[in-house]
Amino acid sequence: MINLKKYYSTQSFDTRSVINILVILLSMIFFAAVFSQGVFLQQKNLINLLMQNAALIIITLGQLLVIVTMGIDLSVGAVMAVSSVLMVLFQDFGVVGSIVAALGGALIFGVVNGALVTFIRLPAFVVTMATMQIGYSVAKLLSDAAGSRGGTVYTSLGGMELPTLYSEFYKGNLWGAPLPILVSFGFLILIALYLKTKNGHFIYPVGGNEKTAFLSGVPVWKVKMAVYMLSSVLAGVAGIIFVSRVGLGDPQAGGPWIALDSIAAASIGGASLSGGLGTVLGTFFGVIILGVLNNIMNLLGVPPTLQPAIKGLVILIAVYLNTRRKMN
Amino acid sequence: MKTQNKGTSWLSWIGNNSALVAFIILFVLGSIFVPNFFSRQNFSAILYQYAIIGFLALGQLLVILTAGIDLSQGSLVAFTSIVVALAMSKYGILPAVLAGLLATTVLGLINGLLVSRTRIPAFVVTLGMMGIARGLALVLSDAKPVSVEIESFVKFGRANIFGIPVSAIILLAFCIGIGYFLKNRKLGRYIYAVGGSEESARLSGIDVKKIKLFVYAASAFLTAIGGVIWTARLSSGSPIGANNYEMESIAAVIVGGGSLFGGVGSVFGTVIGFLLFGTINSILNLVGISPYWQGTIKGILILLAVALSQLRRLREKKSEVKK
Repeated sequence: MINLKKYYSTQSFDTRSVINILVILLSMIFFAAVFSQGVFLQQKNLINLLMQNAALIIITLGQLLVIVTMGIDLSVGAVMAVSSVLMVLFQDFGVVGSIVAALGGALIFGVVNGALVTFIRLPAFVVTMATMQIGYSVAKLLSDAAGSRGGTVYTSLGGMELPTLYSEFYKGNLWGAPLPILVSFGFLILIALYLKTKNGHFIYPVGGNEKTAFLSGVPVWKVKMAVYMLSSVLAGVAGIIFVSRVGLGDPQAGGPWIALDSIAAASIGGASLSGGLGTVLGTFFGVIILGVLNNIMNLLGVPPTLQPAIKGLVILIAVYLNTRRKMN
Repeated sequence: MKTQNKGTSWLSWIGNNSALVAFIILFVLGSIFVPNFFSRQNFSAILYQYAIIGFLALGQLLVILTAGIDLSQGSLVAFTSIVVALAMSKYGILPAVLAGLLATTVLGLINGLLVSRTRIPAFVVTLGMMGIARGLALVLSDAKPVSVEIESFVKFGRANIFGIPVSAIILLAFCIGIGYFLKNRKLGRYIYAVGGSEESARLSGIDVKKIKLFVYAASAFLTAIGGVIWTARLSSGSPIGANNYEMESIAAVIVGGGSLFGGVGSVFGTVIGFLLFGTINSILNLVGISPYWQGTIKGILILLAVALSQLRRLREKKSEVKK
């Protein structure tokens, strides 16, 4: 049985777990810096690292919320794809209109996921596996309807160039800090703040023991609906960032592994798939660990054929270290 | 898990066998309205395609029965195909096939060891193995497809008896064997027990660790058989193919009435599960509906299947409470 008070006071910022992850990250950075002879630590490389992972950071934040409630969201990649296609299809409605369309489409997936998991009590894995298939299919159908045969939706489709504002966003910067990085950090702070609010904080007792949480008066359904909706909307934001980066909508935006990557990153960051555990800071480190790993492997010229195996090993080792900590 | 009230006749039967009913309805509708659906060529085409997924689904069923999951299957298929194709040019058919089965089963044993001896969740263990097996396949093959030159092996991939693919016949034998094993052997019953409640299984003296080790190794072994057939059909080993096959096998188990919470699921249901997907894909192809619809239809089907089984569980609970 859980102690609600304990969850309230400690779980959102579990210092020990964050330190554990930080040790892994720092040793990786040290390794990278030494073996790349300093190239890794150059400002350009670090900014690149954060730029490449801006979308994944945002997606993984949503994944974190869902995982803490003992759920899982396999549909994030598909939602990102739908959002990117909608963004381009609605380009005639201006920047605001297309963003609203992209996020609105994403939100529909979140509502469906949340309702099926919360009210009909279907297992999250199956629900989001199904909506993942539906999402990728819808993204292809939408781009098919736009005349691009289920492929990428080019921005010239409506007879219009993609408003340069999009690409300006991706390349833009504020006081020297690139905007996508600022946006991803903004969401990090937003979600951390959300977890400090009452509703946000309730995800820990819900994930720790749903029944006890319900009996102690936690509005379980609100909490669960909120996390699935947030997860989808955040995936929608990632879709928008994708469009601003590559300048087109793609039914395969983010690649087929992005949902699994986000789950791996959250797990590395200390979130437990059996619910109730996970922090925003840990999640950030989790994404960065995966990002640094990719970055090192490229800098050191590790053949791309070997990279998936190394990544798999690192995921296993990192999560193993986390679970050892939980046993103590 | 039979329903208690025998009085409620056919309606509850339909509820309990929703996948079978859906399959029969689609099959009949397809036979009547879709030209070329009811033909030997079409049936054997469906079987050719889905026999491979069938082996994966059988393995996935064993794992899911223990409330686990095996995400590494797609990568294991690719890994098997590379091992088989590489070994075949040097050592001949039989040693190559044995090498493929053995190597892949070893990876499955590693899955099982990690799941049973550590606290890493099965999802993460097999996610890691997904990367590792894929990486091994890429490294061994240098990321290039490895062609299989031996004619008789390639022929085996296309062999059929009275139009029924040999691979489907082997699959049928495995289905019957595993169905019998799950129902009538001690180890088979233990698998259900572990999935039903790990704690009570342990307390009643079942070696839970051994059972878990067994199901992940068995899943990899069955996947490897699928991989060998896949290699024969492609007449080459492919390090990058078979992506997302695990999603298909998981979907088949679930549509066939399996539960990710463990303890529920059957071989028969699983077979109906992948036959249902095969039928739908075939009808969509024959009717000429855009293939992009497939995901939507599959997704809705999966949701319907779990919703129905959830409804059934609720009703069972209610009737238990009444008693």
